[in-house]
Amino acid sequence: MAIERRTFLKMLAGSAASAASFKAFGLSNINLQIVDDPFNYPYRGWEDFYREQWTWDTVARSTHSQNCTGSCSWNVYVKDGIILREEQAADYPDIDPSYPNVNPRGCQKGACYAAEYVNGDRRIKYPLIRTGARGEGLWRRASWDEALTLIADKVLDTIQTQGPDALTFFTPIPAMSPVSFSSGARLAHLLGGIVCSFYDWYCDLPPGSPITLGEQTDVAESTDWMNARYMILWGSNPLQTRIPDAHFITEAKYRGCKVLAIYPDYTSSAIRADQWFSVNPGTDAALALAICQQLIANGTIDEGYLAEQTDLPLLMRTDTGKYLRESDVAAGGADDRFYFWCSTHNTLELAPGTEGSSIRSIDISGHSPALTGSHEVTLADGSSVTVQPVFEQLKAHLDANYTPAQAGPITGVAADVIAQVAREVGDTAMATGGRVMIMHGAGTNHWFHNDLNNRAMLLMLSLCGAIGKNGGGFNHYVGQEKIWPVKGLVKLSFPEGGKKQRFQNTTMWTFVHARMTDQDLGAEGYSQSTRGYLYDSVQNGWMPLYPEGCLGNDKNNFVSTGATVKDPKVMFIWRANWFNQSKGNNYVEQNLYPKLDLIVDVNFHMDTTALYADVVLPAASHYEKYDINTTDMHSFIHPFTPAIPPMFESKSDWQTFQALAAKIQERAVQRGFTSFYDAKWGGNRDLSTLSDQFTDNGALAADIDACQFMLDNAPETVGMTMAQIDAQPRRMNEQTTWTSNVEPGRPYTAFLKMTEGKEPYETLTGRQQYLIEHDWFVEGGEALPTYKGPVDEDAYPLRYNTPHGRWSIHSTWRNAKQMLRLNRGGPICYMHPSDLAARGLQDNDWVRIYNDHGDVVVRVKAWESEKAGRVTMYHGWERYVGVKGKKANFNSVTGIRIKPTQLAGGYGQLHFKLNYWGPTGVQRDTRVQVEKYNG
Amino acid sequence: MAFTGRQLAMVINLDKCLGCHTCTVACKNLWTNRKGREYMYWNNVESKPGPGYPRNWEGMGGGFDSYGNVQYGTLPTRDDYGRDPDYDYQGGLFEGGGIVDANPQPTWLSNWDEDVGEGTFPNNYYMYIPRLCNHCTNPACLAACPRNAIYKREEDGIVLVDQDRCRGYRYCVRACPYKKVMYNAFTKQSEKCIFCYPRIEKGEPNACAKQCPGRIRQVGFLDDTSADVYKLVVQHQVAMPLHPEYGTGPNVYYIPPFSGASQVDEQGRPLNVDRIPMAFLRSLFGDDVDGVIATLRAERDTVSSGGSSEILELLNSNNRYSL
Repeated sequence: MAIERRTFLKMLAGSAASAASFKAFGLSNINLQIVDDPFNYPYRGWEDFYREQWTWDTVARSTHSQNCTGSCSWNVYVKDGIILREEQAADYPDIDPSYPNVNPRGCQKGACYAAEYVNGDRRIKYPLIRTGARGEGLWRRASWDEALTLIADKVLDTIQTQGPDALTFFTPIPAMSPVSFSSGARLAHLLGGIVCSFYDWYCDLPPGSPITLGEQTDVAESTDWMNARYMILWGSNPLQTRIPDAHFITEAKYRGCKVLAIYPDYTSSAIRADQWFSVNPGTDAALALAICQQLIANGTIDEGYLAEQTDLPLLMRTDTGKYLRESDVAAGGADDRFYFWCSTHNTLELAPGTEGSSIRSIDISGHSPALTGSHEVTLADGSSVTVQPVFEQLKAHLDANYTPAQAGPITGVAADVIAQVAREVGDTAMATGGRVMIMHGAGTNHWFHNDLNNRAMLLMLSLCGAIGKNGGGFNHYVGQEKIWPVKGLVKLSFPEGGKKQRFQNTTMWTFVHARMTDQDLGAEGYSQSTRGYLYDSVQNGWMPLYPEGCLGNDKNNFVSTGATVKDPKVMFIWRANWFNQSKGNNYVEQNLYPKLDLIVDVNFHMDTTALYADVVLPAASHYEKYDINTTDMHSFIHPFTPAIPPMFESKSDWQTFQALAAKIQERAVQRGFTSFYDAKWGGNRDLSTLSDQFTDNGALAADIDACQFMLDNAPETVGMTMAQIDAQPRRMNEQTTWTSNVEPGRPYTAFLKMTEGKEPYETLTGRQQYLIEHDWFVEGGEALPTYKGPVDEDAYPLRYNTPHGRWSIHSTWRNAKQMLRLNRGGPICYMHPSDLAARGLQDNDWVRIYNDHGDVVVRVKAWESEKAGRVTMYHGWERYVGVKGKKANFNSVTGIRIKPTQLAGGYGQLHFKLNYWGPTGVQRDTRVQVEKYNG
Repeated sequence: MAFTGRQLAMVINLDKCLGCHTCTVACKNLWTNRKGREYMYWNNVESKPGPGYPRNWEGMGGGFDSYGNVQYGTLPTRDDYGRDPDYDYQGGLFEGGGIVDANPQPTWLSNWDEDVGEGTFPNNYYMYIPRLCNHCTNPACLAACPRNAIYKREEDGIVLVDQDRCRGYRYCVRACPYKKVMYNAFTKQSEKCIFCYPRIEKGEPNACAKQCPGRIRQVGFLDDTSADVYKLVVQHQVAMPLHPEYGTGPNVYYIPPFSGASQVDEQGRPLNVDRIPMAFLRSLFGDDVDGVIATLRAERDTVSSGGSSEILELLNSNNRYSL
């Protein structure tokens, strides 16, 4: 489109005249030169003006530690000792040139960390000691020595008067900065304090994964999405929450993948799908089970896979609904050995690889475990019982309850659409060897019955042989569970081993100590109250609860009053905004916080938890320290390195807790309290050498030494140096890790050790297990995958949805000015225009969201994409930003509900393990009302 | 007299855009976080249909008429750009109160209508469109400048406002139909996207392009037959300028969204009706968009049935820059 000559002549004539006239009027203060040709401009010396703005002195590699799964490597630019800006390093190696690579990883939030937090006006510069009420924002500056002395004395007081298990340490997600995680964890370990869980508390844990697969979570790295041929975005909103990975969705489409999006709302990821339909909130399990029913009806199931990889061929007694055990059949037989019926030999065979089997493989070559049929088996006592493969019972269960016609009215999705999806899923899986993937997220995982959602979707993928396949699988992308060099982390955090460490499921701890027991929500449909189940679980030794003995010895008293007899006293919080993010926020403030004599927050900025703390210690920013960083979204490792030394009086977390260890030692010696007996430790703890224990006699004193220690002590990273991973991100070592090996040229996906290596799953049956016979599951009618609707205990008209969004990573960046300005400048909720109209509301009005738990005032945005009957408030808003004078946030209208079955223990894979098995902190079942706020 | 130099171009794939604004923030922290540029987004991302940034820019005029006469549109008001709020964290969090409110309370901001679009649930629709200066072949800003302070670089076609020569008369702001020249009240000069020429000169792609995690931007010279932009714009002709009717010859080209879901009935049955109406896409890209979308959909069909597509592989490219 060249410019017409005529146009330019006209234009130049005009401008020459203008220039002359400006000169004449004296408006120009320079001797204006004539420009003959704007395409050959003569006066370009000024261009250095912008060139000078793109200069720097030094560059350092770092990343961000925000409980984000990005794990994005950034270059940080420094000029005159000041951090100017950051930019993605974009130098991850290719896994294989045939795949689009992961560059450049990093989002808009990472791109303003320097401006907002390193140099921002919420930076904590010095140790602060609270002078006003908690949350009032009144402080005095203290010296490090004064602050540490105050803390050390309170720690020693608490150990002496209450015991070390009244010291609570909370920090989440080691993967994002494991040395920083280890700092306080190691001190807790040496003192006897409790280390709290996070993955279950944040409801990132999909309980169906440990229930079914015996694994916390394991997923494909995002590059493997390229191998999918059918991808279902289900409750996960990757365009907002997996920004560095989301390109693979469209790139997979360009390689032949169909993408289906299932969300109630027409959310931003739906716009990238080939098909979207709206499902009624909380009904996803019904939809998945109807697809399962259709897969079986259509015959698009992988029978060989089911026979080998799942418990579906294992025989079940029709009289008890439990597995047929060796102990049923033979005197002295084991109760963790199970049978299948071999249709080749027509024989009853013990399944290899079960928990009690001496064979550590699920390889069943030579046999054909039957999925159908019915047999009479003579028991050890001479009686006879009818047994059937689990598959028979499951099929009958699905056919009776979950046809598309039955699921249609529940889900709001037409039966023929369900059938269409089932047909496409089955056909694609059969044609491609299981390259069907569910990208699963918090939208489906944050429900009370999240485990049922998980189990239904897992079953759907198992039926068509899609778990443990590249391009397939249940890819649960919520939370940052994968700390690849986990063995190094454990060794650094808990040098004496996990058995000597008090671990605490945070959901239970908060539920009990914040007196959510007063509400006792969410036990409907079970034989006793949540309090009853909780008491039994603790009493049975299934779940720990600290301080030890806090529930008392009288179940009746606890069940009737919810009262505890011992309280936590001191809480350390670092790398987290624990208070802000706590479900049951008002209960925490009103009931739990008063129990705490001292709340210490270690932070680089004044978030809500810092604002409500008693002592705030200044932390180095992410650009001022060494650490390492990994994620489940890719298989590379790269470091934090300091672009500049810690600003003001801040310290790295490793140095802060080291200094606290030294101060506790110093005060212990001064006070003559240098050791105490601790049964958990198995002897006396020595406080007089605490500092040396912390640093391993100086070997781990420097941050970089702690980083290297971790690399050295994990098979995934052994042999790597900090200098090497600083030079360029490196892929994990090629050897046995997690549930699959890292292999050259092959994107990581989960459970290949089982599907290709025939290793047993970590379940009772050694298989993907769809029958759970634990009595509490049977009581709840959940022995087989089933659907239960949302728990509608709050008697309010609107569903309340608090998803993860684009503009924050949890609460971080919620106070970032650049992010606020690119949105609506403060907290908002989204409602369908019809719900606004029904309440006389206009877009951008102030509204009050309320229920019996509390209220919060925010602005409302009219959003056509929202499902009517629901209000969405993206999570993470701080209690103090833009709340119209009343400190509150998205969690002010939530309580804490515990699902009884998630307190179960004493059964195969159902045993407490930090972040693997324990109650999840659900909140999607909350209901609210919204009204205009005129205050 | 016409531009005869080399021309850098950018292709932006709207079918892949995440609406994440990393481009916007990358640009902001590199160029517009200081000295009177604070309110500017040289690069912004807007949800369409919608008023965009500055508000209702498409209704403000500018460009050239059919005779080639430059048109002086209306000057956006300060409010049209949105008045960014500030937050007194130092006072509220460190000096008492424990509450921090936006000041001023916003009623309009650059991305106010994020994800809004048009239509009725469940068939409402929206799309993202990142916008920057188009470094036009026939720049209306250049034509409008009475001081000849705007020029187009022969070596790369980048259009710049000479910051020594400009006196801030804002004819360029009025004439640019994309409203991508902005007035700096601190320096009293007009400024705009410089296509990151300091980076380009060093072989480094623009910040908005290189930092795009959606991998939707490709940059190169239009006469470089090995460049992705050449292949997409010239060879396959699947990348289109925004509002070609403005007559300025933009050098930022867009792949239109082509792979989204269809409309559905109340129970989710697909209706085989485009969710984003073609009429709307024609209003952005002109009538040729029908053919482009047909081509791109045919390419997807080819791939889905086991074939290969050079065009779609270009859109998956790991080597998106030829500088």
